[in-house]
Amino acid sequence: MKRNDPDILDLLAAEYVLGTLAGGARRRFARWRDADPFVDRRVRAWEDRLAALAFRLPPVSPSPGVWVSIERRIGFAPRGRWRAMAAAAGAIAVLALGWLVWQETRVAPPPAQAVIADQAGAALWRVELAADGGLIEVSTIGTVHYPDRRALELWALPPDAAPVSLGLMPASGRVRLALDDRQRAALGLAANLAVSEEPPGGSPTGVPTGPVLYVATIARG
Amino acid sequence: MAESADLDSEPEVARLLAACARQDRQAFQRLYDLTSPQLLGCLIRQLRNRALAEDALQDVFVQVWRRAAQFQRERGSSWAWLIAIARYRAIDLQRRERRLVAGGDQELEAMPAEEESHDSLLALGHRVTGALNDCLNALQPRQRDCIVLSYQHGMTHAEVAESIGEPLGSVKSWIRRGLAALRRCLET
Repeated sequence: MKRNDPDILDLLAAEYVLGTLAGGARRRFARWRDADPFVDRRVRAWEDRLAALAFRLPPVSPSPGVWVSIERRIGFAPRGRWRAMAAAAGAIAVLALGWLVWQETRVAPPPAQAVIADQAGAALWRVELAADGGLIEVSTIGTVHYPDRRALELWALPPDAAPVSLGLMPASGRVRLALDDRQRAALGLAANLAVSEEPPGGSPTGVPTGPVLYVATIARG
Repeated sequence: MAESADLDSEPEVARLLAACARQDRQAFQRLYDLTSPQLLGCLIRQLRNRALAEDALQDVFVQVWRRAAQFQRERGSSWAWLIAIARYRAIDLQRRERRLVAGGDQELEAMPAEEESHDSLLALGHRVTGALNDCLNALQPRQRDCIVLSYQHGMTHAEVAESIGEPLGSVKSWIRRGLAALRRCLET
């Protein structure tokens, strides 16, 4: 391929980025790109032009084990404190290190959590209160049918008091919601959480205005 | 949404990538936290299997750490660089798997919640930055569908043809003409 035929080169670069350039042609083009900065620039231009298409896809939070595996493959040592302790352990260093790495990768149980499920019992979200009580994390764990042009809002249901909004539920992935004092107090007293359907942006009145779609019991660790 | 990725975070991603080139491990972890959900979304769409996609995500970040110093900002955005590494990794795995199990059924588990049909791609258009979206809208519908399908699913010409039930020759020419039109549109 002559690189002085800019239209053909540009089309090849585009089809390489798209993925429709396949087989041996794809491998040869990849080598050419690595060797020739001029070709690389054409490829990067197409990567840039099309990248916005990737943002149409819903984000998905990886399992915690993925990061642990990446750290191990790159050869990151366990953090300083662990390393010092393991070194001091002398003869049992290897065993100690193994145990410490295991400890480090274990996820401590949150002080409170709830799983929100649909009527058929299929889990949709997990809600976890952080150890210091200052925020909750909502993770999507099932297929959520988010109503069109509506929001789903999460509420704490304290006994003998009005529901207190905790924030909006994600359609996919994970969100962390910071809690103010009122929300913390309500969540501390509540036995249940509820999710209601609301206008975009959430309830305009501060109390649920749409149908309550889900209710879940809070489990405290 | 705290974890949702978008091009607004480009300056932060670029800064973190530059720090990774200096072997800054905290920056690498922050980069992972910021970008891994969007990259995993792409990988799941292409590989159609969460476990395979998470394995691929590991490969992607190992590559990112090792190649961060090669990233040249003047040649393109850092988000686009990361997305390209993920997509090419998935394409390699897809094509390798197809050679091993020619014609085997793909697993359909772990498809993301917002799976959209080909017809409704435009309904999500507001999530795409303006210029590309406008230029995609200006394409003939078949040209646009073929380009979006092959990009998001990592499909070959033959797979796009099968997926939309059109002849291979038509798909090739729609993609070629669509890409040429897209470039002209984005350059004006």
